Amino acid sequence: MLAHTELLSWSAQHAATPVDLRGVVDPTVDPLVSTGRALVSFVDAMITRPDGSVRTNLEAEVGWRGLATAAGVLGNFQMMNRVADATGMPVGTGTRRRLSSLIDDLGLDRFDHLDEGS
Amino acid sequence: MEGGLDAAQRDTILQSWRSLASPGAAWTGRERVAMVAEARRARRDDPVTGELDEATTRAVRTIASAPWTIRRPWVESLAADGMKMRQYVEAVGVVARAVAIDTVLESLGLDEEQLPDPEDGMPTGAVDERARRVRAWVPTVGRASIIQALSLVPSENTALETLHGALYLTYEEMSDPNSGKDLTRPQMELVAARTSAINECFY
Repeated sequence: MLAHTELLSWSAQHAATPVDLRGVVDPTVDPLVSTGRALVSFVDAMITRPDGSVRTNLEAEVGWRGLATAAGVLGNFQMMNRVADATGMPVGTGTRRRLSSLIDDLGLDRFDHLDEGS
Repeated sequence: MEGGLDAAQRDTILQSWRSLASPGAAWTGRERVAMVAEARRARRDDPVTGELDEATTRAVRTIASAPWTIRRPWVESLAADGMKMRQYVEAVGVVARAVAIDTVLESLGLDEEQLPDPEDGMPTGAVDERARRVRAWVPTVGRASIIQALSLVPSENTALETLHGALYLTYEEMSDPNSGKDLTRPQMELVAARTSAINECFY
C-alpha cells in the first residue's frame, strides 16, 4: 500500500491531477482522481463481494478496455500483496523515513506486520 | 477468454496458467495443480480435500485467503513441519499467480480457467544457491526487495515478473509517470493502492 500510495501521489503530480490520498484507506472520501469513486467501488466489490452491477458501472465510465486495465491491475496486486506478505519483504528504513508523514497522516502503521525481519 | 484483454495479455495469462502445471524447482506438476485447486477452495471457504500434506495445505490456504495474517513464526512453523524453504517460495509464487488470474477473469465476468492438466516429470531442483536470508523471511539473491522476493526459485521469480508486466506494467515502465494502458497512471495507481489497502498489505 505504501509503495503505490506514493506512486499515486507522484503520478498525479506529474499529470497535474488532484488527488486526495485519504481515498485509498477510506472509501467514503472522494480520491478526486477521474472516475476514482467507480474504481474504488469496483476494487472493493471484486475483492469482497463480486457484483456485476459495479462492473457495469465502471465500464460505463471507462469503457471496456479501461475495465480490462482495472481488472488487470487488481489481479496483479492480489498477486503482489500475497508475495510481499508471505515472504516478509520489509519496507526499507530510508523509505519509511521519507514517507513518515504519509504513514502518519493515513494511519498506515496499523497494517505493518512485515518490517520485523533482521 | 476475451473481455477487453488484448491479445498479448491473453497469451501471457494463458501461458502463465499452463505453466502452473509444469514441474517446478521443488514440486511436481501434479502437486502444483493440487495447490491451485486448494487455493481456489480456500478462497471459497470450501473444505480441505487432503490432496496435499498438512503443512503445504496450511501454507496454500493461508497465502490464498488470508495473507495479511502471515507472520515470521508462522513461516518458521512450516519449516518445523518439514516444508523446505524452496518448496515454500515456489508455493507462494504458484498460489499468488493463480489468485491473480482467477481475479482478473472473475472481475471481467468471465468463466474461470479449468485446472490445467499436470505435466509429467520430476522437480528440476533449479534454485539459486546465492540466495541468503537478510531482512526478509525467505532467502533472496541480493537486496531483499519485492522484485527479488522469489529469487531463490528463479523460474517463479521470472514468471511473476512476466505476469506483472502483462497485468500492470513492467518493472521498467513503473518508473515512467506517463506510462499507462487504457487508464491513466493515477487511475491505475488508485486501483493498486486500494487493492493493497483492502488486503492490509503495508508494502
